[in-house]
Amino acid sequence: MADSLVPVLEAQEKMDTDKMWVIWGPQHPFSHGLWTLKLQIDGEFCTDADPIVGYLHRGWEKETENRDYARIIPMTDRLCYCASMTYSHLYCMTVEKALGIDIPEKAKYIRIVADEVCRIQSHLMWLAAVGTDMGNLTVFLWAMREREYFLDLNVKLCGQRMTTNYPRIGGVRNDTTPLFDRDIIRAVDRFEKAMWDIIYLIDDSSVFVSRMRKISYLTREQCANMGLTGPAMRGCGVDFDIRRDDPYDNYDKIDFEVPVLNKDTKVGDTYDRYMIRIEEMFQSCDIIRQAVKKIEALGKNAPYRIKTPTKVPAGTTFGRLEDPRGESIMYLASDGTDHPYRLKVRSPIFTNVSCSKVMCQGVRIADVPAVLAQIDMCLGETDR
Amino acid sequence: MVQYSSILDWINFSDPNANPFTPFLSDNLPYDICYGLWEIIGGALAWLINLLFPDNVVSAWLLDERTMVMFALVLFMLVIFIVAFVVVLLNLWMERKVLGRLMDRRGTMIGMKGFLQCVADGLKTFMKENTIPSKVDKMTYMWCVSLIVGLSCFVACMVPLSDRWYVVNYDTGLLIIMAFYALAPFFILVSGWAQNNKYSLIGGLRAAELMISYEVPMLIIIATVSLLAGSFNINDIVNLQSEIWLIIPMCLGFIVFFFCAIAECERPPFDIAEAETELVEGWQTEYAGMKWGLIMLADYLRGSVSCGMVAIMFLGGWTIPFIGGTALPEIVFLIKAWFVFFLMILVRGAIARVRPDQILNIGWKVFMPLAVFNLAIAVMLKVGGFY
Amino acid sequence: MAMKYLDKYPKNLAKSLWIMKPVWTAFKLFCKTVVHRPVTVLYPYEKEWIPENYRGRPGLRFDKCVGCGMCVRMCVTQAIKLIEVDDDNGNKVMRPQINIGRCAFCGYCAEYCPVDAMTVTPEYELAEYTRYDLLYGPRRLHYENTTPGMEVKLEVTLPSDIANGNPERRVHIFDVDKPELTDSKCIGCKKCSKVCPVNAVTMVEKGTNDKGKPIIRPEFDNAKCISCKNCVDACPKDALQIKEVL
Repeated sequence: MADSLVPVLEAQEKMDTDKMWVIWGPQHPFSHGLWTLKLQIDGEFCTDADPIVGYLHRGWEKETENRDYARIIPMTDRLCYCASMTYSHLYCMTVEKALGIDIPEKAKYIRIVADEVCRIQSHLMWLAAVGTDMGNLTVFLWAMREREYFLDLNVKLCGQRMTTNYPRIGGVRNDTTPLFDRDIIRAVDRFEKAMWDIIYLIDDSSVFVSRMRKISYLTREQCANMGLTGPAMRGCGVDFDIRRDDPYDNYDKIDFEVPVLNKDTKVGDTYDRYMIRIEEMFQSCDIIRQAVKKIEALGKNAPYRIKTPTKVPAGTTFGRLEDPRGESIMYLASDGTDHPYRLKVRSPIFTNVSCSKVMCQGVRIADVPAVLAQIDMCLGETDR
Repeated sequence: MVQYSSILDWINFSDPNANPFTPFLSDNLPYDICYGLWEIIGGALAWLINLLFPDNVVSAWLLDERTMVMFALVLFMLVIFIVAFVVVLLNLWMERKVLGRLMDRRGTMIGMKGFLQCVADGLKTFMKENTIPSKVDKMTYMWCVSLIVGLSCFVACMVPLSDRWYVVNYDTGLLIIMAFYALAPFFILVSGWAQNNKYSLIGGLRAAELMISYEVPMLIIIATVSLLAGSFNINDIVNLQSEIWLIIPMCLGFIVFFFCAIAECERPPFDIAEAETELVEGWQTEYAGMKWGLIMLADYLRGSVSCGMVAIMFLGGWTIPFIGGTALPEIVFLIKAWFVFFLMILVRGAIARVRPDQILNIGWKVFMPLAVFNLAIAVMLKVGGFY
Repeated sequence: MAMKYLDKYPKNLAKSLWIMKPVWTAFKLFCKTVVHRPVTVLYPYEKEWIPENYRGRPGLRFDKCVGCGMCVRMCVTQAIKLIEVDDDNGNKVMRPQINIGRCAFCGYCAEYCPVDAMTVTPEYELAEYTRYDLLYGPRRLHYENTTPGMEVKLEVTLPSDIANGNPERRVHIFDVDKPELTDSKCIGCKKCSKVCPVNAVTMVEKGTNDKGKPIIRPEFDNAKCISCKNCVDACPKDALQIKEVL
């Protein structure tokens, strides 16, 4: 960041120019959803940014308080259409923790598979958005095409493309369908080959790379102070992934690597944040392969869902998991009835968006979409 | 040829056929077609009127030679514009289809393999409400559209399709086309200012920024080509390439001119003036309905001019090496121009939008030295006696 | 485990000739899609294959339905309402009516239906001209080509079974939850027997009280009971409770 601010400071010394506020949003082609970014620009450079969220507030957390536990699961899908699986997984995990039950092995592995499919399709959605933000529709359509194969897997598994409604308190909704193992391995193999086309399009293009390189530096300390999580954080040298460091649902029995860049320099730019997500997709493919093998080893008739009591004992529970975009947390306060007393969601994007003030400082106007694309905005879960 | 000293020499003739500078005397195919067409239409009209009112004045007037020339000129204008317009529509259709296939989708699907989508779009923009924001500077706001669209149409009509299909054929043809071609960014800057909108203002300023980065290397390449040909006349440049296309000795120049031509017509990846992710629609933000449709048409007209210039300067225009002229040189020329447009679509599909400061860098630090280097090669070739 | 992408990139851009590789990649795909067809599906004319368990609009098998109201209870968006209709024999019965305009397509009605009368159907083209047309009555909910794959089975395992080392799946495990009577609270109002959709509740006389009036208490036929909790809801004195078997 320090480097990129130098031209601004020099320009300020030389001439006394007025600063202008440009308001991007809530309806603006760059914003993936309804939010506003107020940008203070000085010539071609941004000197300040102010994100405004809340246009999509629907009272999600209040609404959960009037429903019994089972009927909240479809609502968690609607938090974010890209991370529906991880959010319902997180909710079910939190309630299971509150109930103090252990779910069957098969359910854990199926959830891992479903989570990783969700992670891949969410990252592909992000990649598509990066394409349009940089002004290239080809990346958008190619990434969307790859995403379709994973949405088809969702259809085969749980009957719906995006609002999956698949995890249940005590397991998952249904067993894997007969040819699902074959289909998912095929899709993953196909994806690993097809992904290289998109990589050639972006990483071998000097235009893409030079637009993402050397802008919007974030240091490790800034990440920690601002609460930035997820791939953006790992691109800045923070070696932390909940899947590995606080494993949930048998992630500890699966061998995978967490991509981290800039461990030594502890400063990452936009391109580093981009690379982390691409590598995460490849790692997710490995995880899926291993988990599918484990599901096959468990046999066809293994239980995948256990019966759970409808009433949750009074107390507070805290669950967290690695969302495609960062660390999402649910905090459940139960009062012994069949509906929660309070359900608090910590969305990773809400905190990541607040970093845009720092991320946009010193970049050019044309860089702002490229920088903010790395946040992977989703307003559904930000505003709740 | 007769030297003319003033433009009045050219227009101040009571009898157009006595004008030694008239472009319509010989071997101008569209004019011949129009003259023949008017001989049929005007003759039929005169005969009909004469049938009803024998020995009247109107029939005699219609059959007068000078009247025939006047009406033939009117038809000539229509024909030239309609041909340029249809070429642009085909360009548009090709862009939609090729870009669609490149992105693994189908492109437009409405009628005639998607060609009628252009017609539908045109009708749609014409039916939209003509909204003018209340706080714009109305005069500049409206005039800029007219000037941008008018200049683009003018330049598109000026590009000759062959040695027999042209409007005027004179010694500074290339220079005049490029001069009018470079005018539009000024009006973009003015209209960006007139719209009283921050996005438009930034877009207009970016158009100016873009212009100062590509215009200089582009003009150096034009100078290089005319240096080799020894003339600014388009016919001379084309005849120069009757044996070997200029792209072979001047491949560097071709690359530089190709990208400058993309920047000239503000197509992606150099569409920073209307970068939709940053500035909603750039300098076109406040234009709606028909005005926006005309601006888009102007963009594509300029795109087709770019392709035509590349084809003329580097790909041998309407000639084919070793064969020379063909029966239909216009089609040869258009195929070459469409091939250049195809390359433009490929570049558009493959790479992202370039940042404004990067365009300045590319223009002055990459294209400019390359263009000068190319000029040096051309000078050496000329001195060596190859051209 | 190795990194598949991070080991190769970032690399020297000059090797890929600045922009030549992406242009070449795009051109390859262009040639491919010109020869073969693009992946796009021309939607109204072509349709994608969808599996049996696709969650389209809910379907109802009228004959199987008992009108227990479990779908109403579980519906996330309160799109389902029980209405009175004539069945094939002319009797008045309660059957669900669904407002598709509110439906969230979550499939809960099919999943929790105790008699598997509710199914999911692969029908997803549901646009109508008026909102009234979006109301799907019990007869209209019928879907002709219902297959067993469209039923959503509720195959759960009891935690106690797993503890005993017998992890078998049971279909409709909620059936093991049976209502239990707190005898001291019951006033014998017969409401539970009236609301029971499968007539599993019979009112039985169990002696007389101090004043000589008969004591009526419900008795539950566990084989018939589908644990729909209607009696629990109807009980005015909270004398009935569902006993959860875990």
